[in-house]
Amino acid sequence: METLNILVDPYLIQLFRITGYTFADFLMGTFLLAFTAVVIGEVCIGAVFLMNRQHIAATTDDVVRYQKVSDDALAVGDKEAYAASNKMANDAFGKSFFSQIAMSAASLWPVFFIGGWMQYRFADVEFQMLFTDFTVGVLCPLVALYIAARLVFKRIKYRLPFFREIKKILDSQGRPDHR
Amino acid sequence: MKQHTWLIVVMALAVGFTAVALTVDNAWAGKLEDAIAKTPQGTEKGQIDSNAPKGFMGIPGGPSAFLGWAILWGAWVGWIFSSVGAFGGIMAGVGHITVFGLGDYAKTFKDTNPVLSKLLTDSIRTSNQYLVALSALISSTTYYRMGRLVLPLGVCLAAGGITAGLLIPYLTAGKINLSAYVGYFGITVLVIGCFLFYETTPRGQAGKKAAKEAAAAFEKEHMGKGVATTNHAADGVQVKQWGASKVSFTFYGVEFSFNPIIPLVGGFVINAISSFIGVGGGFLYVPFLTSIAGLPMYIVAGTSALAVFVGMISSIYGYMFIKGVPVDLAFIGVELIGIAIGSVLGPMTSKKIPDIWLKRLFVVCAIYVGVGYTTKGFLGYSIFPGM
Repeated sequence: METLNILVDPYLIQLFRITGYTFADFLMGTFLLAFTAVVIGEVCIGAVFLMNRQHIAATTDDVVRYQKVSDDALAVGDKEAYAASNKMANDAFGKSFFSQIAMSAASLWPVFFIGGWMQYRFADVEFQMLFTDFTVGVLCPLVALYIAARLVFKRIKYRLPFFREIKKILDSQGRPDHR
Repeated sequence: MKQHTWLIVVMALAVGFTAVALTVDNAWAGKLEDAIAKTPQGTEKGQIDSNAPKGFMGIPGGPSAFLGWAILWGAWVGWIFSSVGAFGGIMAGVGHITVFGLGDYAKTFKDTNPVLSKLLTDSIRTSNQYLVALSALISSTTYYRMGRLVLPLGVCLAAGGITAGLLIPYLTAGKINLSAYVGYFGITVLVIGCFLFYETTPRGQAGKKAAKEAAAAFEKEHMGKGVATTNHAADGVQVKQWGASKVSFTFYGVEFSFNPIIPLVGGFVINAISSFIGVGGGFLYVPFLTSIAGLPMYIVAGTSALAVFVGMISSIYGYMFIKGVPVDLAFIGVELIGIAIGSVLGPMTSKKIPDIWLKRLFVVCAIYVGVGYTTKGFLGYSIFPGM
């Protein structure tokens, strides 16, 4: 891993030398890296979604179907049908849930590389927390700015053709984009 | 609306825990450096050669797995997640312990520096949990937006889960040697293997077939006959009573109730197992809530995703913040790339392999890994090769 960090270091550090003011540079550089991680991650999970869309539709349909049957059985007080369909919905949900877990890895991997590089580059940097004696490392601002970058990107992503295309597919299937 | 506010607070606290847990890099860097400094220097087994190239977590001479293997193993884990399900978390653990050589490496310091040995063991446990916790964050966010959460149930599960997630690292971090960990991991895998095996037996298959037929029969009879669910569905979950001994709510106009002690104890036990072994626990929450508590899937799905997330975060927080356990973030990033690739391969191949044969394959894997690790952990040697 150290070889990788040494390789990317001269390029990534340029993002931390924009204004010439140390703290502003650190925040800006961290945000730009976090934003890059969000964009790469979203493109990756979008690509995975496109490749898996039939499978996703099939597993989700199974969950919805058995859930509907179990709800209906509940509404008419048929306990036997409710227990049976609940069991089937349980199986269908398990498949869908673990499949989602695997797919979500596509959106998260870049931030781990950035975290690893920041640990390597800024290992000695500490920030004093306001009104306390605690100090935090560089990953604290990274996590906060990663969340901020996700919120910012969420507002602009459907202006990009690739994500508009995905939204069209989801809309045509009657599913909201919960990613 | 009030319920949503509380959920936002819970989610924010969980994210806050993550942030704090991730900030301890300096603290654990010091702890790891101290442990390395106290290890005898040299090139023999159980010693650290400071001139050797840096490997796992920057330890000189530490295992340095070829990145391609980490991606390939990640792809195998992702394939399992997307074709069979829960067994993926177990395989992530097998990767850390055996495939990447971290288990045997930790064991070499058993006599020369037990502190470093146990620190590496704890790192393996925490790394396993990272893979699940961050993914569970996405799932629980999804279900939160879909409004599929029951607050009292989530609070009880989370309270039990958080207690276990903080207690287990406090009681066990730095105290569990690799052999004991591997032994208990093996037993857990064997238990899961037994469940998988049951599902492949004629009895297990008959139960599933009967459920499928009953659901299909009901569906056929009521389909399109205007079962009056729409109005109730609009009501969603309505909590009627929230007491110390009974919580009741209506769902689709039907009343459900549970004793809050049940999810509290369930959340504690499930997260205690998950935290100790270093797995997700998602495979236990859903059957627990549907089978033991008898709750509808509509409610269980979202609540269990949140319970997995909260449980994992509290456990990671316990290991990393309270006990200063180190984790190699970039290595987890490489594994996540593999898992993403596996998530694409899984659906492609699962169409061609019948579900029952996939389960049989993993029954064999579970027996091999389970017996191999149990014997290695408790007898000192594995009766199966490659463990």
